[in-house]
Amino acid sequence: MFGFQLKGQRPPKPRRVKEGVVMRFDHVYEIDPDRMSIIKQQEMPVWDTQRIIANRWEHLSWMHNHFADSVISGEELEKEIEESKKKIRTTKKSTSRRKKR
Amino acid sequence: MSSVAISEPVIDELRAIVGPTYVLTSKTARYNRTRVPAPFPVHRWSEFLPDIVVLPETTEQVSEVVKLANRLKIPVVPRAGGTGLADGAVPLRGGILVDIKRMDKILEIDLDNRTVTLQPGINMLKLNEEILKYGVFYPDDPASYPCSLVGGRIGTSGFSLIAGRYGHTRDLVISMQVVLPTGEIIEVGDGGGRKIRKSSTGFHLKHLFMGHQGTLGICTEATLELVPRPEAEFAAFFGYKDFESAYRSTGALTKSGLATLASVVLFDERKIQYLRRDDEAYIPQPRNLKSVIAVSMYGAVDEVKPAGRRLMQIAKDTGGKYLGDEVSQGDWASRHDRYATPLHGRLLDRRVVPMCWHCEDASINYSNIPNVMREWHEIADRYIKKYGIFDDWGCFFYTNAAYKPWGDYLSEIDIGIWEQKLNDKTWKAWVNCKREITEVTLKYNGSITACHGSTREGDAEYVPEEMGGGFEVMKRIKRVLDPNNIMNPGKNMLDNAYEED
Amino acid sequence: MSDDLQQKFVKKWLDNAYGCFSSGHKFCREVCPVMQVTRNENHSPTAFHANIVAMNNNGLTVADVAEDYVNCTLCGACELRCPNTLFTGDFYRNRTETVKVVKAMRALSVKSGVEQPNWKRWVEATIDKKSEPVLDVPIDQDRVADWAKELDLPIGGETILFCDCEAAFYRTSVPKATAMVLKRAGFKFGLMKEQWCCGGPAAEMGYVEQAREFAEHNLSDWRAVGAKRIITLDPHDYITFTEDYPAYFKNGYDMEIVHITELVAELIKEKKLRLKKPVKRVVTYHDPCRLNKRKGIYESPREILRSIPGLTFKDVDHVTQWSYCSGAGGGFAVERPQIAEEISRRRMSRAAELDVDILVSACVWSERPLTARGKELDSKIEVRDLMELVAEAAGLDYGGVKT
Ligand SMILES: Cc1cc2nc3c(=O)[nH]c(=O)nc-3n(C[C@H](O)[C@H](O)[C@H](O)COP(=O)(O)OP(=O)(O)OC[C@H]3O[C@@H](n4cnc5c(N)ncnc54)[C@H](O)[C@@H]3O)c2cc1C
Ligand code: SF4
Ligand code: SF4
Repeated sequence: MFGFQLKGQRPPKPRRVKEGVVMRFDHVYEIDPDRMSIIKQQEMPVWDTQRIIANRWEHLSWMHNHFADSVISGEELEKEIEESKKKIRTTKKSTSRRKKR
Repeated sequence: MSSVAISEPVIDELRAIVGPTYVLTSKTARYNRTRVPAPFPVHRWSEFLPDIVVLPETTEQVSEVVKLANRLKIPVVPRAGGTGLADGAVPLRGGILVDIKRMDKILEIDLDNRTVTLQPGINMLKLNEEILKYGVFYPDDPASYPCSLVGGRIGTSGFSLIAGRYGHTRDLVISMQVVLPTGEIIEVGDGGGRKIRKSSTGFHLKHLFMGHQGTLGICTEATLELVPRPEAEFAAFFGYKDFESAYRSTGALTKSGLATLASVVLFDERKIQYLRRDDEAYIPQPRNLKSVIAVSMYGAVDEVKPAGRRLMQIAKDTGGKYLGDEVSQGDWASRHDRYATPLHGRLLDRRVVPMCWHCEDASINYSNIPNVMREWHEIADRYIKKYGIFDDWGCFFYTNAAYKPWGDYLSEIDIGIWEQKLNDKTWKAWVNCKREITEVTLKYNGSITACHGSTREGDAEYVPEEMGGGFEVMKRIKRVLDPNNIMNPGKNMLDNAYEED
Repeated sequence: MSDDLQQKFVKKWLDNAYGCFSSGHKFCREVCPVMQVTRNENHSPTAFHANIVAMNNNGLTVADVAEDYVNCTLCGACELRCPNTLFTGDFYRNRTETVKVVKAMRALSVKSGVEQPNWKRWVEATIDKKSEPVLDVPIDQDRVADWAKELDLPIGGETILFCDCEAAFYRTSVPKATAMVLKRAGFKFGLMKEQWCCGGPAAEMGYVEQAREFAEHNLSDWRAVGAKRIITLDPHDYITFTEDYPAYFKNGYDMEIVHITELVAELIKEKKLRLKKPVKRVVTYHDPCRLNKRKGIYESPREILRSIPGLTFKDVDHVTQWSYCSGAGGGFAVERPQIAEEISRRRMSRAAELDVDILVSACVWSERPLTARGKELDSKIEVRDLMELVAEAAGLDYGGVKT
């Protein structure tokens, strides 16, 4: 089934992705365990790592909602800027063509 | 430091004023109301204990407690959230600690005149959760938004991250009720009138009672500004190839004149190096990203959208590369949470140790930022090499002025300190480091503190120098209002007020 | 002896305590249900960690601090909201562990002879009766499965339904509805030979060795009846079986633990359980602390509610609910009934603001105090367990709410 099982809670072995940074789960960065010799790492079951990450994202979107009704996307604004430039370019082109004629 | 032991009859008097349940004398009550999150000499913890703690619920109770203290010349220290970073709420002379957290009631919401009147023990996030249903918002947004309280915001005259649009605490508090050091209860605003925002009557007393760190009394009620809940938020993070170009771009963005612009924050190269260690947004960034700017806007959709487009264009024209929605939105929403993370502390060999956060918060003019930044890092580097318990977490520069985000910047160098290793020698080293940093600020005609206050060691000594002739006036005011020096004694060099004649 | 214990304790928890002490930022304060009511910094998660630093540096002893640690429902809000968990806990594999710290301090207190009178009585009674002394009802181990009398449930099998003490003796409609729902879905399960208290409350009150005896009984009962999988209907049991039991039994612990909301949501998705009878009520959902904050289970109950026809569901998101609590957990209500009552009163008044007629919970322990506070409101609000509602929507007659 899909319930909790202790044997499924041990995280996979880490692989290094950058100096000082490892990865055990896709897109989840972790510190190189070698750097944790003074402050020890905890035995963190898989469910807990997943819980923290999921709640982090939920918390962030909560914070947006808390401050405003909507969030405006910069990527969309970039697109709009590009499109309006294209428009300006095409209008410019057509005016110059008109002049030629 | 001498401490006034509180006798049993006095404790009984306090019990009679606030109720027996709300007078605390236990060790844990006192130890846990001693420190704030700023670097703290743990090895000297017991030197800073209050003698007794009271948890009042009403203005009258506060007034009675203060009257009693004034009569018996017992020090009084107000404590709100205990998140202040300049040790304002740390008792230096023992005495009575007045913890205002139980004073957390909303007294009146006036939607016609756009004000909320409340007790100062309430937190801003909680307040906004309560008033959301009315479509209004109280926009004081420090990074400590989820944990500091209105009383502490007033006590420090704090800095808000979105003040370019909405103003800081001092702009958002319309008027307040204050218990003076002699116990009288007064109301102060721009002039009179609890809900009047602009007045030319008399002196502007409201300003005097902002940021005094509990040295001139205790705020017991405040009337605050309500703004329409923003329809839209726009946050954008831009990457630059070096600090120079980000710095120039900051100038261009802040001077755009866009009214919805709430903040521009500049991250220096050391900050980016620091973030690359452990921050999921910065680990994957390409090597040639060296410096970052964050901007935010709030307002109606019809305003924010076109203004946002304009900002994107300015950033692009001045060398900025948009870092995408995920980084921009995610990082902006985490603006409160990403400070004071002890495990971000690194020794020179890169091993992790828990470090406490020092947040320098000088106000510096735009043109002096590059020099100040360089000199600060040089100081930090020297101390890191010599003592091995410090760490440089880089600089932020936040637009500082209310409503017109240009000209001067809250300039922040973040320094990690391994508190567990503090002893007399290393604490002294830290204070010296702090002093050197402060001296750079003054050398460049800055102000020591944009938000936390000048009450911590390494800042306080420089208050007379920064204030000049104004410091004489401060002393006279202090002596008149607080004849027995009971309110938060030892802070801001105000003991000097009693040493003369 | 007590000194030795204290030193060992401090050594074990000092690093975690410094993680908090050196932040000290108190993002945890306003989500803490106890702090919201008492506003007393002694009860703050920050203090729970700082005391350990003070025990290390400044001569505070367990006797100085023990009583403060009563003021916690072990709801988990603080440690989840703490930036050192939420933002960097996964990166460092090191997070703020306030719940563990509070439990460990309570255990140290008991071992050092500093006991809380009501907890002591409660645990003694539990040992005596093998089930918790659920208030106002006679507890008799012979009647621990009385709720199932008319249901004809087998003993044993691969899957066992574990019925909590409060459910077995007080709100019996919850296990009854649950069992009927599972049967309707064709899901095979049985009961234990003799269910004892899960041991969680004793552990939360600091009586770890006693708690372990319950755990050992239950595990051997499960083994004896051939169980491989345990279904929990109470969030506290889910925590005990997924956190305490693994700590007691280490790698030998091979049970699969499934929480009922996860199971039922799945059965609905797989169309094994069909909810066809409209329930024309206006409801909101109370996120039980242990599911929401401590385990991250907040989707499945909402999925279930959304699949009930006729229901008007006025949801309050689970992040807002980090700061909600019924006050029922962590033994807190046993020692501090008045504060606990104020916590449930505040939870209920939040529900009242939404103009609902039912508050749905998925934690049987929360249901009694919330029901009492709901009755005090002008606009009476009923408290129902999610499984009771599911049974109703499945057209099952579970006999109505029984307490
Ligand atoms: C993570 C983090 C981020 C932060 N970010 C910011 C930021 O962005 N901007 C900013 O401005 N600050 C920031 N701070 C600092 C701190 O949060 C502020 O200084 C805040 O205003 C302090 O509020 P408090 O309620 O915690 O007050 P406290 O620390 O309890 O008190 C602060 C001062 O006010 C006095 N005081 C308290 N109550 C009263 C009263 N009722 N009347 C008179 N005096 C009183 C105290 O004696 C003390 O001197 C941050 C702190 C942290 C930990
Ligand atoms: S528990 Fe976390 S949020 Fe609370 S004070 Fe400690 S470090 Fe800060
Ligand atoms: S677990 Fe819950 S009740 Fe206990 S300190 Fe944390 S937030 Fe408060």
